[in-house]
Amino acid sequence: MSRLRRTVLATSAAALFTLLSAPAFAAMTAEERALMERVDRLATELDAVKAELAKLKTEQGAQAAEVALVKAAAPAPAPESDTRLTSYGEINLTVPSEHSADTQIDLRRFIIGFAHRFNEKTRLVTELEVEHAVTSSTDSGEVAVEQAYVERALSEKLALRGGLMLMPLGLLNENHEPTSFYGVERNVVETAIIPSTLREVGAQAVYNFGNGTTLQTGVVTGPSIANWDFSDASKGRKSPLASIHQEGQLARARDPNFFAALNWRGIPGLQVGASAIGGNIGHGQEGFPESRMLLWDAHVRWAPGRWQLSALYAQGTLTNTRQLNAPNVGMATLIPKRFDGALVEAGYKLWRKDDLRLEPFARVERVNTARGFADLGPGLTPERSPTETITTTGASLFFGDGLVLKGDYQWFDVADAADRFNLGLGWSF
Amino acid sequence: MRLLPLTSALLTLPVSVQAADYLSVEAAQKLMFPAADSFVVQDVLMDAALVQKLKAPAVSALAQGHLRLVSARLGAQALGLVVVDEVIGKYERIRFAVGINADGTVRQVEILSYRESHGGEVRLPAWRKQFAGKRATAALQVGEDIANISGATLSCSHITDGVRRIVTAVAALQAAGKLA
Repeated sequence: MSRLRRTVLATSAAALFTLLSAPAFAAMTAEERALMERVDRLATELDAVKAELAKLKTEQGAQAAEVALVKAAAPAPAPESDTRLTSYGEINLTVPSEHSADTQIDLRRFIIGFAHRFNEKTRLVTELEVEHAVTSSTDSGEVAVEQAYVERALSEKLALRGGLMLMPLGLLNENHEPTSFYGVERNVVETAIIPSTLREVGAQAVYNFGNGTTLQTGVVTGPSIANWDFSDASKGRKSPLASIHQEGQLARARDPNFFAALNWRGIPGLQVGASAIGGNIGHGQEGFPESRMLLWDAHVRWAPGRWQLSALYAQGTLTNTRQLNAPNVGMATLIPKRFDGALVEAGYKLWRKDDLRLEPFARVERVNTARGFADLGPGLTPERSPTETITTTGASLFFGDGLVLKGDYQWFDVADAADRFNLGLGWSF
Repeated sequence: MRLLPLTSALLTLPVSVQAADYLSVEAAQKLMFPAADSFVVQDVLMDAALVQKLKAPAVSALAQGHLRLVSARLGAQALGLVVVDEVIGKYERIRFAVGINADGTVRQVEILSYRESHGGEVRLPAWRKQFAGKRATAALQVGEDIANISGATLSCSHITDGVRRIVTAVAALQAAGKLA
């Protein structure tokens, strides 16, 4: 630009000189005339330069305006809230095929929670659950904190958690929202053997190896064998561990329990994993000899194309049950030394239109909540329970990701009278 | 539809406006188009019909009708486009970049930031490679042509939806002759 200015100034000076010297043109020498002609040419060039300059200025102005427009049009990131509200819920209709009088509708679960991010590395996750709609001294409902933990990321791969956490067992315990599993009710294995949602208070490390393998391990509270109700005919039989869990409620914590879960998801659509939790569960309670618990599972889920195929085996063992049961012979429910269950399940994404999705499924489970009892002597040792086979088939109709309408039918081989039709409405966000 | 192509060398600037946890936008651009010698920004305001069709969540710039395209160029030759967008996984925002070849097929998907506790496997090349070669006519649906990651269904679905929206939008703009 400065070069252009210099050219303009020089040419202007030459033009002025030309004007002043016009009367003397006739008397000029040939050399002087040549010089004047050169000045004329320079004047013409000056006009061209001026025109070019004006054009450049106009173009630059237009371009600047365009830049301003683009800046205005640039996508503005939506403001990010540090706190996110979450919820899930299930409303279930149960129609027993042989006892229609027991038909029931239940707001099985209503959960409200929030996740709050303190900063890039630190966050809080909470869930508050109401079961069976109403909770009071005369109602069946229950209010419980399902999760309340903080998480601190130490690196891209490692995070630490502390608080009340869902144990990373099986396929369902950590992913228990109704939109995450097939069937109106959670599967029996992951209700009776792994008492979902099993949660404990403690500390956890989550390590992602970066190759699809994730290790979760930690030290937490465990169940308390002192919670076993020998006089209740159903609780311990329905789910041995659910009947002695503590869930962070004034939990006896003398004996720490330890857990670890290893899952590999290195191939898209495939998850292979195993988990275990165990430790002493006596906590030094008077009248209860020491007992050790071990609950473990192995699971696989494969989702090729429209299919989702799952298989899981879970087993729980309790030690010292002979000493625990001996003083309670004759009571309604003694403590089993072993309980286990397995399931296979297949789901298929049959139909989709807009945000609607229909996925039929079928599942077969074999469950025994009292596969074995410690020997108490002839006539005193309880008989082990028969293994129940539950066949469930039905479908889920999804409305987007967050809402699902489910219907299924369940056949029970041993407890025939329990055969039932279920209809459920669930949401999750 | 309004298109404001900027081809001035002055404007071949990086478009990153926030720190990325794993990969910056600039790094993603170079990773996707290593042969490119310039990246030219185009901001497109999409028409209402296209915005409605895309059904983008509020967190996505596409929901506001904006589409920022970064054209990867080698001299005057357009090698392809890079588009950055965001979706919500289960709780957290996921920032991702989609590289699109000049023929409209997906070249590459890169996860720029991922903060969910579970589902970090979406960053694995094996999962992201599923998108390569797909165009707007593909299903681009989890459970169809994209395999899910167990335990991270929402992250997988929402990233997949995000990629499909971008590929669809770019194809619509290309068909309308609106891309420089």
